[in-house]
Amino acid sequence: MRVLVVEDEVKLAGNIAQALRERCGFAVDCAENGLDGVAMAEYQNYDLLLLDLMLPGLDGLGIVRQIRRQKDMTPILILTARDESEQVIELLNAGADDYLTKPFDLGELLARAKALIRRAKGVSQPVLTVGRISLNTVEQTVRCEGQLIDLSPTEYRLLEYLIFRPRAIVSARELLEHLYDYNWQHHSNVIEAHVSNLRKKLRAVGEETSIETLRGRGYRLEAPEKHL
Amino acid sequence: MRKNSLSRQLIVGVLLAEFLCAALFSWIAIEHEIHGRRRAFDVVLRGRADSVLGAVRDAEDPEDNAIVDPTELVLPKHDLYEVVSPSGRVLGQSPGPALLAALGSAPTADYFDFRVNAERYRGYRLNGMRVIDRDDNGGIRRPVTVFYAAPTRNIWNETLEAVRFYLVTSTLLLAGTGVALIWFLRRRLSPLQELAAIAGRVSTRSWEFVPPNIVLQTSELAPIAHSIEELLAGLRESFERQRQLTGDAAHELKTSIAVLKSSLQLLSMNPRTTEQYESGLENLLVDTERMEDLASRMLALARLEEAPAESSESSDLYVSVRNVAERLRPLANLKKISLDVRGIGTAKIPIPTEDAEVLCSNLMMNAMQHSSADQYIVATIDLHDGVTELRVKDQGDGIPETALPHVFDRFYRADRSRSRNSGGAGLGLSICKAIVERSGGTIHIQSAPGLGTEVTATWPVAQADHVPSELGASTAH
Repeated sequence: MRVLVVEDEVKLAGNIAQALRERCGFAVDCAENGLDGVAMAEYQNYDLLLLDLMLPGLDGLGIVRQIRRQKDMTPILILTARDESEQVIELLNAGADDYLTKPFDLGELLARAKALIRRAKGVSQPVLTVGRISLNTVEQTVRCEGQLIDLSPTEYRLLEYLIFRPRAIVSARELLEHLYDYNWQHHSNVIEAHVSNLRKKLRAVGEETSIETLRGRGYRLEAPEKHL
Repeated sequence: MRKNSLSRQLIVGVLLAEFLCAALFSWIAIEHEIHGRRRAFDVVLRGRADSVLGAVRDAEDPEDNAIVDPTELVLPKHDLYEVVSPSGRVLGQSPGPALLAALGSAPTADYFDFRVNAERYRGYRLNGMRVIDRDDNGGIRRPVTVFYAAPTRNIWNETLEAVRFYLVTSTLLLAGTGVALIWFLRRRLSPLQELAAIAGRVSTRSWEFVPPNIVLQTSELAPIAHSIEELLAGLRESFERQRQLTGDAAHELKTSIAVLKSSLQLLSMNPRTTEQYESGLENLLVDTERMEDLASRMLALARLEEAPAESSESSDLYVSVRNVAERLRPLANLKKISLDVRGIGTAKIPIPTEDAEVLCSNLMMNAMQHSSADQYIVATIDLHDGVTELRVKDQGDGIPETALPHVFDRFYRADRSRSRNSGGAGLGLSICKAIVERSGGTIHIQSAPGLGTEVTATWPVAQADHVPSELGASTAH
């Protein structure tokens, strides 16, 4: 999952980004002002936008309006130091999905971020299953019939992204975009390597579910017919 | 406290004027009435005296005297008359009290007033010539004097009647116009009440003030309505600014706390190495210091913006500038910025030393934050045209023209994302402005993007004992 944090308080943005990376395994980009934020959100396909309300250039409300005007459905979580209900109503009506008032609890922020991403992908509970595999987004663990599968963080993120869209073809480019932030060197063969490792680990526990490579098109999480 | 009612005052005033008018009119009318009646009375007296004269007859006695024949006279029964011959003989008189006897002596004037038994009389003396036995030779001419008097009681009675009529009419008119006046005034003053009602509905939640047309069309009320409108606009603006300010302050504080809290939670989220904890704690300390700085700046500003200082503390601007420059010099050297202090040796300003140093350090720190290596910052103290002037000039990147009017606003940052990184909360210049204006001075800023910025603070010179000395320069490096 890839998240954009638009926050002019650089330290706060840094803390949020670090927490999202460490605790959720998300790729996080940061923007310091509204104009950069909206440009990045338009250019890149994010899974969640985290916006501060008072921003230089363009404020949070302006960003929400501009993004929604372009039919972009990315979930938006607003961080605000103001909690006047009028403003909250205006924000939600403009298309924001949720808001948190500063100073917030970092744990709550992470939980809300994950819930919003889940909802946006049409899932309401934190545990996703495909075949015999169940993926717990809270614990960030993957089990096959109760047996823990030991995955590297990148492998987990890869599986998490694919498991939200079983049987759909996901291009290597999309995976790159959603799993890594701007600071990462983009090499599609990195994805291939991680997919190959993940495939091996799933096979090791005897799981029939597998990640199929469709040459030139991408990857697909494929479970045996009876299990889906 | 009893309130003065404008309409009551108006009604009372108009009624009082009406009453005075009525009284004056009544008085004149009564005077006129009395005068007229007196004249008529006198004419009547003369007429009656004439008819008495007409009743003088030859007495056909040896002296060939004349007498008054009362059978020919029809006179009011209270009237008195007496006819005398030039020799003083009474030729005839009315029944009742003797007229001349009551007078004492014969009056010389044509008209005379007297009393008989508390009854007032007015009399008339008629010197007439009676021709008796008129024939071809002209007859016998007998001069006689007729004294005729009538009681004046009736004039007074009639006058009183007239007075009563006038008084009753005036009173009725007064009452009638009073009622009409009250009704009229109430009706005419209704725009005033409407204005008051509309003005009363204004509150901090609803600033709407739309005076009705009837108010705007009233020449006395339109200026009031307009000034209320202006006043409300001003109030609203300052109220909004205040609210904006409180919001901004809350935003700054909450953001600061959010940084601190998230740093703490981040540190405790995952197990960390000792080094990570150490650097985390260091970071937390920096965050806390920033918050402390923000809080102390906000408090300083609140203190400065309270009522003007009572104390007449003053300090030497030159000393403050020198001290601050010395303190900032290591930082300036580090950034390779040249920091100069120029100007007169002593310049008293009505600011406590502490505030003067805050002012100087804010201005110089600002200049330094916007300067880069090998640039100059010059702080000049000057005395001219009766003012003490402090100028801090830098060669930095300047301030965009659009931002210039707002730089003294609290929490204003021309380039927010950049100044956030440099740590300011946008209070520095606000504090400077508060310090300078509190002491009766003025501050203004000039800037040319790309060329630099100059902030000038001026104070009127209180005493005349400041003598500009030689320009002493002290230069860093």
